Amino acid sequence: MFCPQCGANNADTAVVCVQCGRSLQSNAPTPLPVTGVVQPPGAEVPNYLVFAVLVTVLCCLPTGIPAIIYAAQVNGKVQMGDLAGAKAASDNAKMWCWISFGVGIAGILLYVMLIVLGVVSGFRPR
Amino acid sequence: MRTFGGLRRHPLLLATCLLGASGLVVLRVFDPAASGVFPPCPVRYLTGFYCPGCGSLRAIHALLHGDLRSAWAMNPFTVLVLPFLSYGLASEMLFALRGKGLPQVAMPANLIRALAVGIVLFGISRNLPLHPFDLLAPGALLHP
Repeated sequence: MFCPQCGANNADTAVVCVQCGRSLQSNAPTPLPVTGVVQPPGAEVPNYLVFAVLVTVLCCLPTGIPAIIYAAQVNGKVQMGDLAGAKAASDNAKMWCWISFGVGIAGILLYVMLIVLGVVSGFRPR
Repeated sequence: MRTFGGLRRHPLLLATCLLGASGLVVLRVFDPAASGVFPPCPVRYLTGFYCPGCGSLRAIHALLHGDLRSAWAMNPFTVLVLPFLSYGLASEMLFALRGKGLPQVAMPANLIRALAVGIVLFGISRNLPLHPFDLLAPGALLHP
């Protein structure tokens, strides 16, 4: 949730704002800020685009592409006001980022293992 | 020392930052093209085709040495998106630390889709053996 006083983004379970210390626990539902909006509505639904592009570039993986497509879906649904759909797309984007990252790490580990095996077998006396 | 205290409260973030920083140091010292320190691109290794990310490590290595020309020849896409990625990563880090990232514009969905299509087209065209496209293969611009 966003702090009504300073606009900082807090965890939904936060009791006080991390930035200004204002109490975030109120019985009445917090009214949505109408004027002076610091962040666009739906900004709390992350689209993981940065990580999606990062794994696509660094892990050299085709699995980064679905992550980018889902990131696009997040922004599209937020614009249409479909927050539930945006959240679902966000989870998918996150999942594909983690899949890409996992496969990338597995590839690196495999590479290191092969090198170690090669060195070990190379040094073994015949 | 608010930021430092924040990093101490986020051991995972601290570990990621240290890992990223040491990765950059290793990438500056060792040339991915000449040393066996870095693994080859799995797509290239398994299929023989260049992927959109091929040459990105060599590009960043060249950038860390201030060689923009070589970086561009290795992977122009990486050179183009790196400033945006750095800004985005800095924003994510600040968000984890103080709950507020850097100012960002909400990108239209179709712009992000265009990015995905662009990446795929870039990946395909750098494998084509036709003249203007073959220059997109990693390093091809350096030896035309």
